[in-house]
Amino acid sequence: MSAAIEVEGLSHVYGGTVPALEDISLRVPAGRFTVIVGPSGCGKTSLLMMLAGLRTQTRGAITCLGKPIPQPDPERVGVIFQEASLYPWLTSLENIEFPLSLRGTPKGEMRRRAEAMLELVGLTGFGGRYPHELSGGMKQRVSIARGLVQDPPVLLMDEPFAALDEQTRMTMGHELLRIWSTTSKTVVFITHSLTEAVYLADEVLVMSARPGRIIDRITIDLPRPRTYEMMATDVFGRLRDRIWRQIRKAD
Amino acid sequence: MKVIVARLALLALVLAAWQLLPSRGLVNPLLLPPLGDVLQMLGELVQRAQVREALAVSAAEVLLAFLIAVPLGALLGVLIAEHDYLGEVFKPALFVVFAIPKSIFLPLFILVLGVSFQQKVAYAAFTTTFVVLMSAAAAVESVKQDYLLVARSYGATQLQLVTRVYVPSMLPLLLETLRISMIFNFTGVLIAEMYASRTGIGHLIASWGENFQMKQLFAGVILLAAAAILFNETLRWMEHRVSTWRA
Repeated sequence: MSAAIEVEGLSHVYGGTVPALEDISLRVPAGRFTVIVGPSGCGKTSLLMMLAGLRTQTRGAITCLGKPIPQPDPERVGVIFQEASLYPWLTSLENIEFPLSLRGTPKGEMRRRAEAMLELVGLTGFGGRYPHELSGGMKQRVSIARGLVQDPPVLLMDEPFAALDEQTRMTMGHELLRIWSTTSKTVVFITHSLTEAVYLADEVLVMSARPGRIIDRITIDLPRPRTYEMMATDVFGRLRDRIWRQIRKAD
Repeated sequence: MKVIVARLALLALVLAAWQLLPSRGLVNPLLLPPLGDVLQMLGELVQRAQVREALAVSAAEVLLAFLIAVPLGALLGVLIAEHDYLGEVFKPALFVVFAIPKSIFLPLFILVLGVSFQQKVAYAAFTTTFVVLMSAAAAVESVKQDYLLVARSYGATQLQLVTRVYVPSMLPLLLETLRISMIFNFTGVLIAEMYASRTGIGHLIASWGENFQMKQLFAGVILLAAAAILFNETLRWMEHRVSTWRA
């Protein structure tokens, strides 16, 4: 399988003195779901920002779909942030249209594509609502739709469900897998939740405390589609324990 | 509904008291002339050429000071909010100066510019610029970094960041700034006119007071209050329209 993202010997130093990331190398095959976990402050978000072209690393190379990514390129990479990043002055439909409107997409096409996304995330009929009129889970659905609307082959997600309650979080994880299976995107997903990591991932990368390094790569070979029942199985528990032991060592 | 009835009842009560207490002799009508007499005087005053001219002068001073202070204050406010170094250097000084009552500088303005139109405009613009500057800086800092990061990740240009994120995000605060700055601006012009002047509505009100012409004085107060309330409510209505999302 060809790689959608390749990182070679990436290091980053903050403000010239504080080492943040150390010799990161990774390879995400096209269409795979990769989850990154690690202790707070280990630099996972920095790494994601670099993959998105929003920040420049000190050393090393990033290749995304065969080319470097020195600045944001929404045609290749879509970023999905936490729910609070929706624009409160726009309706949910206008929020989804926002990336398209930045490149001057014609109004009719914009509306059509945004409504298709709204349907994909199960929010048909909520296009006219403002973010403050939506629940946390619904806001996150809008946020996902906004990240998908330009149909980028690569999706980067920075703890997208961290602000949600446990039940909504599980539902959203399930929803995300459903959407992912219909779109065949390459996903890099950051989380603090080990259960979420095992449930979603093809592969889990475990990072150490600062300076962040990749200390373990765990293939999750649970069958797809994943179900809630799998969480109660021994295999699931063993995988989660392995990640937990690595993180404790890392901390 | 009940609240609205109660509010109207309160207004009616105040107006009725203003009419009845002096006319029944419960309050000295020389100090507080009945409302009817004051309104009649107001009708006469707005016909007088001297009053009209004074109003025109004051309006010109207010408008000019506003046109100077708002862009100047906004520009300086955005500069110290956006530019880290300038912010570090100037913010503490500005906070200290902000606390000083600006009216103590009025004699200085008279010494430099004389008792003149320019002096009124300069003083009002001076007091207003500080308010606009502080509010504009706060408005810029109120824009969440996440909003900017999202737009950049979708490839927004610098110009698009300004028009699509900064402006809509700051709009409610900016309108509030305009409203508050107009209050300061209006106050600045009136104080300058009442302190030392040859014309302007503030000057007329001050001289009516000195000459114990209470009907004229109260008519002037009503006129200015109406103008200020009208402007304030118009902007508040606009503010409300653009800030429905700030729930």
